[in-house]
Amino acid sequence: MSENKFDPKIIGEFLNFSRNFAEAPMKVSVPHEVKLGSTQFDVAYKEDKMRLLHFKPLTSKQVRTPLLISYAVVNRWHIFDIDPKKSWVKNLLEQGFDVYLIDWGTPSKIDKFLGFDEYVNRYLDNCVDFVCDETNVDKVSIQGYCTGGTLATVYSALHPERVKNLIATAPVIDGWKDTTVVSNIAKYFDADKLVDTVGNMPPEFIYFCFSILKPFEQGVEKYIKFLNNIDNEKYVDSFLKIEKWLDETPPIPGELFRQWIKGIYQDNLLIQNKMYVGNKHVSLKNLNMPVFTQVAVGDHLVSPECSMPLHYAVSSTDKILKLYPTGHVGMIASSFSQKTVLPELGQWLKERS
Amino acid sequence: MENESNVTDYYKKTAMFWSDMIAMMSSKPTTLSAVGPLRNLSTNLKKITSELTESNKEIVEFNNFLIEYYKQLADTWTGAQKEVSSKISKVPQNEEGLEAYKRVWIDIFENNFTGLFDSKKFSENYNKLISTELDLLKRWNAITDVMLKSANLPTKQEIEEIYEELHTLKSRISKLESSKKKA
Repeated sequence: MSENKFDPKIIGEFLNFSRNFAEAPMKVSVPHEVKLGSTQFDVAYKEDKMRLLHFKPLTSKQVRTPLLISYAVVNRWHIFDIDPKKSWVKNLLEQGFDVYLIDWGTPSKIDKFLGFDEYVNRYLDNCVDFVCDETNVDKVSIQGYCTGGTLATVYSALHPERVKNLIATAPVIDGWKDTTVVSNIAKYFDADKLVDTVGNMPPEFIYFCFSILKPFEQGVEKYIKFLNNIDNEKYVDSFLKIEKWLDETPPIPGELFRQWIKGIYQDNLLIQNKMYVGNKHVSLKNLNMPVFTQVAVGDHLVSPECSMPLHYAVSSTDKILKLYPTGHVGMIASSFSQKTVLPELGQWLKERS
Repeated sequence: MENESNVTDYYKKTAMFWSDMIAMMSSKPTTLSAVGPLRNLSTNLKKITSELTESNKEIVEFNNFLIEYYKQLADTWTGAQKEVSSKISKVPQNEEGLEAYKRVWIDIFENNFTGLFDSKKFSENYNKLISTELDLLKRWNAITDVMLKSANLPTKQEIEEIYEELHTLKSRISKLESSKKKA
């Protein structure tokens, strides 16, 4: 009979893991009780489910042009303020920016008919109007993240006279060049049937799309690591916050989803300058303001090839494309973003505000 | 020619007029009892039965796409496990070796499954699976509408019409406000 010689360290590891597994409920907070967001804000403006958040300044002097952040339509805005040490918003406030952020809210069945026109020409436009009135300026700087980057791009193309600077962070621009599994599903997806039958795009379907992105790293290894680190308070806190954020995704209004899948992923209208929103032609050539395109090389939600074409499509001569060695979330909520991405953005924006 | 056409129209109209009149007159006694939910339900039962019968085809289709979905996952798992075994034949029994084995296992499984999720065959089958599920949902919605009608409640379609009407009204108000602001 052969004798198995196990490394005692493996047995120790296994015992530790088992102990952590058993003790986890006593040591760790319930994920849904974890509080997200730490920077103070007021709800400056509200329309339907959308809220415009105005963050309280952290400096006595502020940069003249306010910054309006258009968050994505997937997940919630809290990733911009997930942890005080990794907060995108707090960092910008500390750099002296006057920061507003759009929280698109949680659409219900009644919002099924909201599309690009309402998001861009109504909500976003009204937010810009509000911020301009409040701060006594004619133009604002707009930053859009992920799908919010697409909305910000479309808005800037339709209303260039209201936009001082455009910052597109991992925007969805060229659907045909997107190499992610999300775009692979989108290519053959019958959006008409889903919207006509169900109404809004249900969050469960969005979870499915997330779950097939790196299923073993994100679905298995991440949780093993978490259980191995339950005595590390900082690690646990950060883990639970991100998990809660990932878990809270609102439905996407049916019409917006339909236009997104067909217009951006299947027919790729935006980059070809063939898109129409509210009967108005969206031409990326209208983007004549300074444009900063931020791309994460390791982005597995919006591939770099999908975002980068924006830089080459605009007519602006004052434009910059930056590629960062990080991922989709790492670009906005990590120590890397605090050390590299935000200082570069702040410097660029101050020079143009 | 014109006369011929007039005569045809006359007979057509006369026939339609009297057939409608006869139908209305003859249905009067039955309408007296058409006020309760049971009467409505029995009238609509035919629609429910037909929806259920017709959904059989979609249930079979859904089942086939679901089997294919799990088959693709199982085949990819088997392929990935074979690849792991060909790279590392024996599971190491020391800590460093085991950690390296885990890394290789995750990398290979990640690559194989990403390859599957990125493939045309997966996307096509998955979207067909969703599509047949939506067909079944449509049938369920139709049945629910029959039940709602029987209970004298607004149907899904009627609620949708209200939502659409509200949406149109909101858009009009928003445009009016916007043009007022610009003026």
